[in-house]
Amino acid sequence: MIQLLRIEWLKIRSYKTFWILLGAFVLLFPVTYYFSASKYMETINTRTQESTMINSILGAPFVFPKVWHSAAWFGGLFFLLLGMLFILLITNEVQYRTHRQNIIDGWSRTDFILAKSSVMVCFILISTLLVFLSGLIVGLVFTPSSSSASLFEGIKYVWYFALMATEYLVLAFLVAILIKRTGLAIIIYFTTVCIIDNLLWILLTLKDSQLGYFVLLEPTDSLVPNPFKPSMLERRKASDTSLLLTALAYIGAFGYIILSSFRRSDLKT
Amino acid sequence: MSILSVISISKNYGPIKALHDVSFEVPKGSVFGILGPNGSGKTTLLGIITDVLKASSGNYLWLGKPGSHEQRKQIGTLLETPNFYPYLSGTDNLAVAAAIKGRGANDTDRVLEMVNLFQRRKSRFNTYSLGMKQRLAIASTLLGDPDILVFDEPTNGLDPAGIAEIRQLIKELNRQGKTIIMASHILDEVEKVCTHVAIIQKGVLKTVGTVEQVLSSTHDENLQVINIASNDLTKLGAIVREMPGISAVQITDGAIELTTDSTIDPAEINRYCFEKGVVLNSLSLKRKSLETSFLEITGKKSDR
Repeated sequence: MIQLLRIEWLKIRSYKTFWILLGAFVLLFPVTYYFSASKYMETINTRTQESTMINSILGAPFVFPKVWHSAAWFGGLFFLLLGMLFILLITNEVQYRTHRQNIIDGWSRTDFILAKSSVMVCFILISTLLVFLSGLIVGLVFTPSSSSASLFEGIKYVWYFALMATEYLVLAFLVAILIKRTGLAIIIYFTTVCIIDNLLWILLTLKDSQLGYFVLLEPTDSLVPNPFKPSMLERRKASDTSLLLTALAYIGAFGYIILSSFRRSDLKT
Repeated sequence: MSILSVISISKNYGPIKALHDVSFEVPKGSVFGILGPNGSGKTTLLGIITDVLKASSGNYLWLGKPGSHEQRKQIGTLLETPNFYPYLSGTDNLAVAAAIKGRGANDTDRVLEMVNLFQRRKSRFNTYSLGMKQRLAIASTLLGDPDILVFDEPTNGLDPAGIAEIRQLIKELNRQGKTIIMASHILDEVEKVCTHVAIIQKGVLKTVGTVEQVLSSTHDENLQVINIASNDLTKLGAIVREMPGISAVQITDGAIELTTDSTIDPAEINRYCFEKGVVLNSLSLKRKSLETSFLEITGKKSDR
């Protein structure tokens, strides 16, 4: 696996788009998060009646322990950049026909999928670490010294983020392997993530149904809900565990389709 | 033991039969040409034996064993077009291929020198000309000095000097004992380079054997072809038609092609024409070429 990752590194280390998109995520997410926190805390600290009310409804999203939740959610907002990058890294191989050449040169079909999976794992590790560090720094800066909250209470949201990142990337992987063409794959991915997924959620949560929480990316999205949405508006009754297991089932199913379709198919462009 | 055994391979794309029940053996130490018109199934066949395409039925053995990725690491293959990362240099592209093959990157300079690309090794692949891309692809096949090489149209995109160089390289590699499997639609190339040939047409194997066997299988021992020319082809044509032993006279571009009994000496024709008052300015006994055999085997243009 390490050897496969090393070869992937040889491929992407001089690829400009890789650095631009990765750099955009690594810079934009923490900076936006920090400035949002800073602006919010500034408003709260004016201590007007209105701001105190807002803060009590939202439950101090940039202060321990809720800071982990908001960090994970902000990370999710920017994560599509990595999803898009991952699609590019796969469809590029088809466009350059290097997916054929890698096999001709001696990789098995499974090696190819494992190599890309190793890149995926790196993306998950990097982004999760960034969520952790951003949450930690924002929490340390903005939590009042009088707070008695423990530092790592609510850290489960960082793990939920890792799961969300995994499901988003495995879906990107699936779309790239099945669609092959860069432009079309990115359009289909964004349409699925931003439109189809939400439409299904709306349709399947009508009349207080809980089914919508189990559709496509909703299990992981629902594990990290919008921290600025007052908890009294939350209609989810499905447990975290049930969503977690559903997300794992999706990841497993997508992974199976990716591997079996790539192993069976003719490698054409 | 054969280097490669192709056993009853068929490949269908829906109703289209790209390959139909193709079987042959590639002997060790041969330069094995797979010859056929464009679209005859050559690349499909090479795609199957390198596992980028899946056969609909049949199988293949490398060195007597079912094909595997570990075996492919020991085979240098150029399939269809040079496939490289456009933003990487020649050296970096070869480093990727070498790493996949499980070989160190220290072999890249040697192979780049072999194909005269060493000077441009640090340029990005997308700045290369078509010929340079082809050279890099050939260099990549030579990584790790494999004993088996598979080339699909190896001289594609090369200038005449490049073509001669690569043909020379292939012969040299063969002299070193390597087995080379080469697909081509260029008859001349196969004739100049190959020891064995398989002719494929519309996915069907028409014939296979050594180049000599394939040439002689379609050769009528009792006939020969002689080309003659003079300043007045019409008069020359009329004269030779009356000469005994001539079975066919065909006026072609600036010359006349005679099909004669193999007993006729070209000198007799020269003398006969001179006596009839026509001086020949060209006379040659035409060796039967693979082209003639190929056309005989694959039939008329409309069949191909």
